[in-house]
Amino acid sequence: MATGFTEFLDNFVKNHDNRQLLAFPLAILAVSLIILLVSFLSSGSPVTLGMEFQGGTQVSLETTDSPDVLKEAFSSYPLIDSRQAGNRVILEFGVMDNEKQRQLEKDVTTRYSNVEIRQIGPIYGQELQVQAIQALIISFIGMAIVVFLLFRSFVPSFAVILSAFSDIMIALAFMKVAGVELSLGTLAALLMLIGYSVDSDILLTNRILKRRGTVEEKVSRAIETGVTMTSTVLVALLAMYLVSTYLYLILPSFTQIPLLSQISIVLLAGLFADIMNTWLLNTGILRWYVHKPEFKGRYDR
Amino acid sequence: MSDKKSLLNNPRIIIFILAVLGALIAIHPGYTPGEGITSHLNFGLDLEGGSWLQIKLEGALAQVDADPEKIVSAFVQHAIGAPINITNSNLGVGGSADKSITFTTSAPINASQIEILGLGTVKVDKLNGGTTQVTISSTSEEALIQTYLSKSLDAEVVPMSTQNEVVYEIRTAVSEAELEALMGKVGGSIHKNEDGSSTYKEGVSTETRDLTKSILSDKLNSFGLKDIPVRTVGEDYILIDFAGIDLATAKEIAEKPGKFEIRIQTTGNETQHVLYGDSIVSVGIPGFVDNQWHTPFTLNEEGARTLQKVALETGAVDDPESHYLNMYLDDVKIYGAPLSYDAAAKLRDAPIYSWEASTGTDEAAKTEAKTLQVHLRSGALPVNVVLVGSGHVDAGLGAQFKTASVIAGLISLVAVAAVVYYRYRRPEILVPMIGTSISEVIMILGFAALIKWQLDLAAIAGIIASIGTGIDHLIIITDEVLQEGKLPSTKKVFSSRISKAFVIILGAASTVIIAMSPLVVMGFGTLKGFAIVTIIGVFIGVIVARPVYGVVIQELLEAKGEVATDKGSLDD
Repeated sequence: MATGFTEFLDNFVKNHDNRQLLAFPLAILAVSLIILLVSFLSSGSPVTLGMEFQGGTQVSLETTDSPDVLKEAFSSYPLIDSRQAGNRVILEFGVMDNEKQRQLEKDVTTRYSNVEIRQIGPIYGQELQVQAIQALIISFIGMAIVVFLLFRSFVPSFAVILSAFSDIMIALAFMKVAGVELSLGTLAALLMLIGYSVDSDILLTNRILKRRGTVEEKVSRAIETGVTMTSTVLVALLAMYLVSTYLYLILPSFTQIPLLSQISIVLLAGLFADIMNTWLLNTGILRWYVHKPEFKGRYDR
Repeated sequence: MSDKKSLLNNPRIIIFILAVLGALIAIHPGYTPGEGITSHLNFGLDLEGGSWLQIKLEGALAQVDADPEKIVSAFVQHAIGAPINITNSNLGVGGSADKSITFTTSAPINASQIEILGLGTVKVDKLNGGTTQVTISSTSEEALIQTYLSKSLDAEVVPMSTQNEVVYEIRTAVSEAELEALMGKVGGSIHKNEDGSSTYKEGVSTETRDLTKSILSDKLNSFGLKDIPVRTVGEDYILIDFAGIDLATAKEIAEKPGKFEIRIQTTGNETQHVLYGDSIVSVGIPGFVDNQWHTPFTLNEEGARTLQKVALETGAVDDPESHYLNMYLDDVKIYGAPLSYDAAAKLRDAPIYSWEASTGTDEAAKTEAKTLQVHLRSGALPVNVVLVGSGHVDAGLGAQFKTASVIAGLISLVAVAAVVYYRYRRPEILVPMIGTSISEVIMILGFAALIKWQLDLAAIAGIIASIGTGIDHLIIITDEVLQEGKLPSTKKVFSSRISKAFVIILGAASTVIIAMSPLVVMGFGTLKGFAIVTIIGVFIGVIVARPVYGVVIQELLEAKGEVATDKGSLDD
């Protein structure tokens, strides 16, 4: 994967001018933002909020019954959703009083095996929502400050921050389209993405601004290193995704691990976006910047 | 240069080897037939099975003022059903101690009618013309506001003096608007800070939160079951983990109050029941008065009368020394002392509501007074709490999660190794790279075992995250050092390339650490573990493991003779 793709990417970058390089990632970013905006206007939230952020009870249990059969069985509770997840069924309930809640817990734990229950109060859910947004914003600002301190010039820092921003927006839009809910797990994935996405951008910017050689040469070598970096993370995540999502098909004694499955699928989407954003968007902006007339030959030697 | 001796002389490598060995000792992996693989690692509930409860402490902190005379009027007029006329008062004058207020009323009243309001010491005089004059002394604005808020909200209210202001801790949920309205009724308001913001703050003080935590911990761990850790999360939340206990049982345990009882010695070692914990209305903060540590507590009407009755019946008022009052929590004796002569004398005439349990003069007495403060509450919490979250994972499911995450980790590692080999096609790079990565996992796990950190699914995601960035950084080092696939010809060029690689790595690592730090500070339970593990992993990687990787591949490649002959490569 690495070598063939590296050459393709390298040639693609060489054969297109900066404007052309920027067009594609900016278009994807625009589409993502539109998806998030439409969702925000229609539902009040850019992504689908998971139970943890809304309040309610989620029960996951092992059963051979279909979700519809279970819907019937739990009809006396405020059941919102019942869906298949591998060899398990996930039931989502709305907020109920303590008495009912206990009855449900007893009911579920005595009748089914391998049960997982998570319950969040609606007010705490709201509070988590606020905290989640705060955490994302603070992380992002913190990252932006570090990037500015590293490069101390506006355009290169801005390019890194823009591509990290785009990674997150594309990952969020992917979540909306693919029906992945925002949970504590996917929030963790988005924060991890902030860390991962700047790795290759910092590598690229550092090589171009602080090394000798022609810009073309430096970009090619950065692509070689950067793509290897991203592909190792991608295969690791792919393995994590497959095992946590599909292992039960091969080994029936296993089950899905929703937390790891969600984290890996969101990171996979974000990192694919990162390949595009680093090597087209960031490279495009940086290449335009270092070729500006006032730097005559400063970065191209 | 390339013999083993030189590698072992390098302090970085020695530190690295010691760190890995230390981590292995901390993890203490072993195999016991029948039990399977054992280690000193602690696993979280989602991997071990069990349940958790998260509760919120409800309360508010605010600086308020009021017209103390209005409070007295409101209370008394409500109690006697007749208007009063305040004739004298020095409550408005500053200072907090020993103020008094005098009023007259035409209604016939007696002292106990006013005493029960808990406003202060009461003196009643009949004046001419059917009017009654009442003087309430040993009171203050602070005490009146406390009583007013406490009665209006049916909750404990504790005034806490800071430098020059009194902050009232209201131990139940009350919104700013509700509090403002309540204070407005008695001619007061919520104070503003200097910057114009309100002094009202939702939540409770750190001391109260810690007290609640220790009461819970004390109570839950008195059942002699497994160790039940009680942790604070964020400012106003407490998280309780019940390993191996299902959710329904966990809730039962958490809600079952402890049984607190006071018994009195009758004859010899015989004792007689006096009252249970439900007769205790409030427990004060231990204080040092008259060279003694005291824990103050207040009894309700019924409790105070019963205690008086029993003290009279058993003869404790005449001979306190042979009629100790003993306190028991869940049938275990926790305190015993005789009535003071002073109290015994008072009890002959009237019940006593406010008591103090004295424990002695030294440090041990201080600790005992504090323990007593917890026990007297008999598991009743000082603040109102609400359950905001709970969870449950079956032990079998947890075991499946654990095995599956290990499988996911191993397959990920193999996949990463395949990509690295595909790119470099050299075992001299592949083996150190994967080796470094594995050593980083060992060191993170060792650290977790050392600080007894609970590894849960989120922490495993954190380990995978830091390994991912770790491999990224090793690739950066490799590509910087091996330009054109060869080692540089001189040591100097080699070190300059390594330091260039570290400029990039440190930049990238600091962004990861900064991006994760909000999670460490904020109140998310599980994600905090994830963030801490990621940050620790990045630190261990950058400081201990990655520098060693640079040295090792240099040695290995030099041994193979892969040094560039052309000096004029792309370096500066």
